[in-house]
Amino acid sequence: MAFKIEPRAEPSRSMAIAAPLIAIGLTVIISSLLFLSLGLNPFVTLYTFFVQPLTTLNGVSEWLLKASPLILIACGLAIGFRANVWNIGAEGQLIIGAIAAAGVGLFSPWQESVLLLPMMVIAGMVGGALWAAIPAFLKDRMNTNEILVTLMLTYVAALLLSYLVHGPWRDPDGFNFPQTALLPQAGMLEVFDYSYRLNTSIFFTVVVVILAWVFMERSFLGYKMSVGGIAPAAAKYAGFKASASIWIGLLISGATAGLAGMSEVAGPLGQLSSQISPGYGFAAIIVAFIGRLNAFGIVLGGLLLSLIYLGGEAVQLKLGLPSSIALIFQGLLLFFLLASNFLINFRIRKLTTRAL
Amino acid sequence: MTNTTRREILKYGAAAGLATSIAGLPNFASAAGKLKVGAVYVSPVSEIGWTKQHSLGIEAIKAEFGDKVELTVIENIYLPQDAERIFRELASSGNDLVFGTSFSHGTPMQKVAPRFPNVAFEHCSGIKHLKNLGTFEAKYYEGTYVAGVTAGHVSKSAKIGFVGGFPIPDIVGPANALLRGAQSVNPDITCNVIFLNSWFDPGKEKEATKTLIAQGCDVICSMTDTATGVQVAGENDAWSIGYGGDMSQFGNGKHLTAFTLNWVPIYVKAAKDVAAGTWATSERWQGLSDGIVQMSPYNTNLSAEAVAEAEKARTDIIAGTLHPYAGVLKDQAGTVRVEAGSVLPNGDIRGFNWFVQGMIGNLG
Repeated sequence: MAFKIEPRAEPSRSMAIAAPLIAIGLTVIISSLLFLSLGLNPFVTLYTFFVQPLTTLNGVSEWLLKASPLILIACGLAIGFRANVWNIGAEGQLIIGAIAAAGVGLFSPWQESVLLLPMMVIAGMVGGALWAAIPAFLKDRMNTNEILVTLMLTYVAALLLSYLVHGPWRDPDGFNFPQTALLPQAGMLEVFDYSYRLNTSIFFTVVVVILAWVFMERSFLGYKMSVGGIAPAAAKYAGFKASASIWIGLLISGATAGLAGMSEVAGPLGQLSSQISPGYGFAAIIVAFIGRLNAFGIVLGGLLLSLIYLGGEAVQLKLGLPSSIALIFQGLLLFFLLASNFLINFRIRKLTTRAL
Repeated sequence: MTNTTRREILKYGAAAGLATSIAGLPNFASAAGKLKVGAVYVSPVSEIGWTKQHSLGIEAIKAEFGDKVELTVIENIYLPQDAERIFRELASSGNDLVFGTSFSHGTPMQKVAPRFPNVAFEHCSGIKHLKNLGTFEAKYYEGTYVAGVTAGHVSKSAKIGFVGGFPIPDIVGPANALLRGAQSVNPDITCNVIFLNSWFDPGKEKEATKTLIAQGCDVICSMTDTATGVQVAGENDAWSIGYGGDMSQFGNGKHLTAFTLNWVPIYVKAAKDVAAGTWATSERWQGLSDGIVQMSPYNTNLSAEAVAEAEKARTDIIAGTLHPYAGVLKDQAGTVRVEAGSVLPNGDIRGFNWFVQGMIGNLG
């Protein structure tokens, strides 16, 4: 029996709904086999993974706190991805945004001003956007590959951060350990309740999601960028400039990543240390694709990814699973989710063999 | 136990001392009267290395208390954002004693501890302590000094190499002491240094080790969470010095010695004190004389003279007649930092942020 994969004439609407269900079904089946082979009860394990983390208010707060930067960055990335502008270096832009925001917070003369926080927000966004402007300039003028340049600049950003916290920005009262002093109170995002860590940065994410949706689905510029991504030749013929897409795609994603960096440093961190991001910039790429480059899809994707992080910790804490098993499970789910999206645009047909 | 994955998880389970059964549903309350202890590891528990040594401490608590203790362990928690959540979770789920095992757990623990005044927190490699947050740390530099003596005897190129995780005082100091030990044998020895900016990155560590060997270093000491440095040195016919546990099995016969860490007494004492209600915060900073730092068996190819000198250094450090940072101590530029007849003050050792003369490389 032979099968043939063929492209669909247009994306299947039923598959668009069925794909995530297929993915979840496959994940549950395969992971249950995995858990059974380890002598674990699959029901308890899956419950611990997906439900347990959200059974307390603190859990919900942590869930949103972790999802927020992922969604924020992924919204910016999706705008570029739709236009075939591949910013892989959001992690670096996040770091630079955090550095710029912390720089303003720690060293500006307005330590107690109510304007300190807004200035840190601006610094973070500008910092991230400037870092992304480097690959934009190189791509526009010299046609360099932005995938490589953005990725490489991530390492440059990480080393710059390392230099600052080991050198000039090191906390003078910190026993020479590689971290800056704590940000002043005026430079910290307000938490909703002192028992939980969720802070007002969640509003940035809400605003960015709405703006990203409007831009991508309702604006002419967003439409032009999408056309440029799908059919570059047609876009050129219609007079849409490719270089505009490059600049907009990179600057917006740089600014959102920088804002996420600012939110981390002025939120749960409160200071810079030699590593500040749990890979949010890279995870956001997965989130953008789980969300199928749609702003509201990205919200779901970010919430899902955040939940499986927390679930991975919960199965370690409650059931004593090693972290590697939690990682395998997370990998399975993401793999099936992204793989089943294939079925939206392609169909698998059984070929009937004819005797000669 | 015929399948690997099953054996794997049993091993991890045993190492972590987890008695948690899956029979009960999650969120079960612990039986009354049990001591509940939580531990947060910075990297996965593997056969050897930093986290393994901490897991031995947790295992020892299990052995000591048996059914009277309930242990919760989580591994691979590095970043402060995640660590704070985990410490909150452990404290709010009824643990009486919570261990943090990495420098990066410090700030999160300092934030969480004041909110849970009835929970005892113990932080390894921490510096700031609070009413319910104690710190403990090893004098690694005593071990690297002794190891350095053996390195001084075997190095033909008069160049040794050091791979460090991060340029923090706990790593910079021991690197300095390693060279001081080697220079006590041959004053012309220099030491090349590379920092990985990671505790657990075998790929980067391999490259760093190869680079050092290419630069002519014939003894490699690596202070990370893996045995990669020892392994790569052995593959390239260079001598090596292990860290954390005895790494001779990875050294291809070239493992000189290892300075090993024994946290067991600290873990067990903290658990006993919490159980007895006598726990109080304290700062512990212990080395060879307390058995917290130990030397693993010396390589049998070392000359009797080399072993005797290393042993003499070890016993002199224990006796207090030898100090790895005794003057004259010069920095890289040749400026005298410690005069003859005095030693570097403890505060400066805990905050070491400069290299001694003969170190080649930069901090950070």
